[in-house]
Amino acid sequence: MNAQTTPANAPVTIKDLNTENPRWCAGCGDFGIIMGLKRFMVERQLAPAHTVNVSGIGCSGRAPNYFNTYGVHSIHGRPITVALGLALSRPDLNLFVHAGDGDALSIGGNHLIHGINKNFKCVFLLYDNEIYALTKNQTSPTTRKTHPTNTQPQGTFLNPINPITVALGLGASFVASTADWIPDHLTSTMRAAFDHPGFAFVHISQRCPHFDPNNFDHKTSTWFSFLKHANGIEPDRRLADKTEVVEHDPSDMIAGFKYAAAERRYFGLFHQDKNKPRYDEILRNVVKNAPKKDRSKILDPYLI
Amino acid sequence: MDAGFGAQKAGDILLQAFVAMGKYVYVEPMIPAEISPPARSKPALSGVIIRLADFDVTNIGNDTDLILASHEIVLDRRLDDLEYNPKCHILLDMGDRENNMDSYETVLKRCTKEGLSVIPFEVDAVSKVTIKEMGGKGQNLYYLGMLAYIYNMDEDIVKKEIIKTFGKKLREDILEKNITLYHNGYQLAKEKVFFRFQVESTPREGEKILIDGNTSMSLGIIDAGIKLFSGYPITPASSVMHTLAKDFPAYGGMVHQAEDEIAAIGTAIGSYYGGVPAITATSGPGLSLKQEFIGYAQAAEIPIIVLDVQRSGPSTGMPTKTEQSDLPAVIFGSHGDYTKVVISVANVIDCFYAPHLARYLTEKLRVPVFILSDFQTANSYKVITKPKVAQMDDPDDIPDYVLERFHINRLPKDIEMVRLSQAIPGTEGGMRRITGLNSDAQGRINYFSTTNHRGHQVRNEKIHHVRRALTRPEMFGAESNEVLIVGWGSTRGAIEEAIHIASKQGLPVSGMHLRVVYPLPLMLKEVFSKFKKVVTVEVAYGDKLKPSPLALLLRAETLVDVQPMMSDATGRPIRPKVVVERVKEVLK
Repeated sequence: MNAQTTPANAPVTIKDLNTENPRWCAGCGDFGIIMGLKRFMVERQLAPAHTVNVSGIGCSGRAPNYFNTYGVHSIHGRPITVALGLALSRPDLNLFVHAGDGDALSIGGNHLIHGINKNFKCVFLLYDNEIYALTKNQTSPTTRKTHPTNTQPQGTFLNPINPITVALGLGASFVASTADWIPDHLTSTMRAAFDHPGFAFVHISQRCPHFDPNNFDHKTSTWFSFLKHANGIEPDRRLADKTEVVEHDPSDMIAGFKYAAAERRYFGLFHQDKNKPRYDEILRNVVKNAPKKDRSKILDPYLI
Repeated sequence: MDAGFGAQKAGDILLQAFVAMGKYVYVEPMIPAEISPPARSKPALSGVIIRLADFDVTNIGNDTDLILASHEIVLDRRLDDLEYNPKCHILLDMGDRENNMDSYETVLKRCTKEGLSVIPFEVDAVSKVTIKEMGGKGQNLYYLGMLAYIYNMDEDIVKKEIIKTFGKKLREDILEKNITLYHNGYQLAKEKVFFRFQVESTPREGEKILIDGNTSMSLGIIDAGIKLFSGYPITPASSVMHTLAKDFPAYGGMVHQAEDEIAAIGTAIGSYYGGVPAITATSGPGLSLKQEFIGYAQAAEIPIIVLDVQRSGPSTGMPTKTEQSDLPAVIFGSHGDYTKVVISVANVIDCFYAPHLARYLTEKLRVPVFILSDFQTANSYKVITKPKVAQMDDPDDIPDYVLERFHINRLPKDIEMVRLSQAIPGTEGGMRRITGLNSDAQGRINYFSTTNHRGHQVRNEKIHHVRRALTRPEMFGAESNEVLIVGWGSTRGAIEEAIHIASKQGLPVSGMHLRVVYPLPLMLKEVFSKFKKVVTVEVAYGDKLKPSPLALLLRAETLVDVQPMMSDATGRPIRPKVVVERVKEVLK
C-alpha cells in the first residue's frame, strides 16, 4: 500500500483535521464515526492534501465538510460513481467513501452492486442508522419491521435488507462491521479497511438519538459478539471481556455468511479476499500495455 | 433489404468505391432499431441512401434517382417516404414473387399509379443456389455488383474495396463465393439493365479522409487531450465508445463502461475533480437521467463535457432516426437556475473540433458544456480535407481556427468563480470541500440570502462572458432581406444549399446557422432587424401555437416574432428542395 503520508517533521493532529463544528444533533453516531476515521488518519499520518472524502446526501453526506482534507459532497446515492472517477484518474489519493443506508441500499443500490464488483481501491463506510433522518423520520431499507415512521406510521411493513449478506452475496473482497460507540474497534476496522487492496465494505451501526433513540443499546454489550482472528480485526479492548468473542477466519466466506445472517449482531471481519482483481488496476493496465501511438498521425488511418 | 442481410455493409463498400473514384458522398443509413425484425415486413427495411456528386455535398439532397429493392415490401416502405424523382429508376428483385403474387401485384400497381416504371430482375439460377447455401448471405454483394455496373464503376476498384472490407474477416472460400456473386450481379445488370449513369473517375487534390461523425468526434476527443471517456451503451452514441475502446489506450486514454447513465457522468465528474479531463456521451433518455449530476457539476464548479447524440424523442422515440429536439432539455433541463454552454455540430469536421472547444470552455468557466450532435451527423460518412490536429494538452492550447469555426473569441483571462480556490486534490494547503449546497467564496456551506445571490450572479456572469465572446453567426446570402431562415446543428448543409437554389430563383431569402446554440450572441436582435420575417428550420416539432425549440429560444432572447418554418417531426434529414418550397409559402 503506497499511502500518501505526511513528513515526520510536520505531524498531522486531530485539530488539523477539524473544520467547523459539525451540524449534527447532540449524541449523533456520526460524531463517533468521523472521530474514528480522524484517529486513524493521525495514527497513519495520512496527508490531508492527498486524502479525499466523497459522500452522498443525508446526515452522513455532510461528513466530508468536517474533514480538513479534499472532499466531494455529491448527490444522493451516487458517491461510489464519483469515487470511481477519482480512483481511475488519481490512484495517488487516499479515498474514503461515506454513504448512508438510504444512499447505499436504496437510491444508490445499483452503484453498490457495481462498486463491490469492480473492487476498486477505496474505503467504503456505510453509516447505517436504520432510518431516513435528515428528511425527518422515514422508513429506510434497513428500518426494522414494525418500527413506526412518518411514511409507515402503522409500523414499517417489510423486513430490513441485511447489508452484510448483500455485500457478501455480491462477492465483496472485504466485509467488516463495527459501531459508532466502540471507538477502539472502529479505528481498528478503519485500519484493516485502509490496508485492504480493493473495495473495503465497512458497515457501521450508527445511533440516531433524535428519531430512534432506543434502536441500539450502547450501554450494554451482551447483545452483540466480536469476530476475532489473526487475520481479522481485534475485538474492542474495552468490551472484549464483557461479551462473546468468536474465532472466525475471514477467508471462510461461508462461515462469514452464517454470522452475517444470524439473529445476533456480530462486529468484526466477516470476509476478506486480497486477490480479487481490481477494475481500476485493470483499466490502468489496458492503457499501460497498449502500444503507444503518435497523436499527430491520428487521422492518417482514414486517408483515402 | 431485410435487416441482417448486409445492406449496410454493401452500402459501405459502394460509397468507399465512389470515394476511391474521387467522388463526394453524403449518406443516410436507414437502420431499424431492432437487430432482426421479421423478414419481409416494413419495419425490417435496412438500407443506405447515398447522394453522389463531383463536388463536396453538405446534405442528403432532394429526390431519389435510383432505388434497388430486394422485394416488394421494402420497396413499398421506401416509396412511403415520398421522396422519389418522377423519373426514378426502380430495380425490383422478383425472386419472392412466386409465393407473394398478390402483394407484388399491389406494389407494382402503386408504382404504375404514381407514374414510376419498374425494372424487374431476378438473381440468376447459379447465384441463387450459392446464396441459399450461404443461408441467404451474399445477396448484398450481388446487388452491389449490379450497382457497380449501373454506376459505370471500375469492376476492380469495387473488388478491392470488398477485399479490404472482408479480407481479414471471411474464410478464403467464402470470400471467393462473395466475389463471384458480385461478378454475377455485375454481369446480370450488364445483360438485363438498359441504362447506366456516366460516372467518371476524377483525380483528387490534397489530403482527404473518409470519416463519419461519431468516429470524427472520438478522434477529436483524443486530440483535445481528454483522458477519460465514461459512458453507458445507448443508440446512437455507442459507436463513440466503441471507437475509443479500440483507439484511446494507445493515446493514454481510458474507456469506462458504467453500470448506468448516472454512474457514467458521476465517474466523469470524479475524474475532472481530480484534474483529469473527462467526457460522457449519451442520447435522449440518458440525458434525462444525467440531469441531476449536470446541475451538481455547475453548482460544485467541476468541469464536465456531455456529448448528446440526439435521436428522435420523446421517451424512447425512434432510436435510429434523427432529430434536434433535445435543445430545451439541455438549456432548461436541470432544476433551479442553471448555467451551461451548448455547442452544436453541423458536419463531421465540426465533430472533430467540438471536443476542443468544449474542453476549453468547461475548464475556463467550470460550467457544464454540451456537445449536441445527432443521428444523421453521427452516422454520415463524408469525404473531407484532413483536419489539422491540435494535440491539446492544456485548454489554452486551443487554436484560433477552432474558435473561429465556432464563431467565438477567446474568453477573458480572469473569470470569477463562486469559490475563490479551485485547487485540485494533491495541492498542498489547498484542501477544500465542494458541495451542491450553496457555498460562499471560501467554499463553505452557507444559506444566507446575499451569499446565495452572489453565487447566482457569479455563475451567470460566466455565461455572460460567452455571450460577449460570441461573434456574428455564419450567414448565407444578403445581410438584409425579406426572409431570414435560421437553423443550428446538422441543418446547416440544407440551409446553405437552399439559399443557393433560392437566390438563383431570385427569392429574397437569406440564411443563418448557429454553432453555439446557448448562450446566443448579443447582436442577434440587430441582425434580425434587417429582415421582415425570421423563421426557423429545425428537425423538431412545432406548430402555429407551439414554437419549435429554436424558435422558442430566439423569440425569448430577441423579442422578435420568430416562427417555425420547418418543424416536421419526421426523423429524417432536411432536404433543400423542401426548404425552398416553404420559403415560397412564407413569401406569399
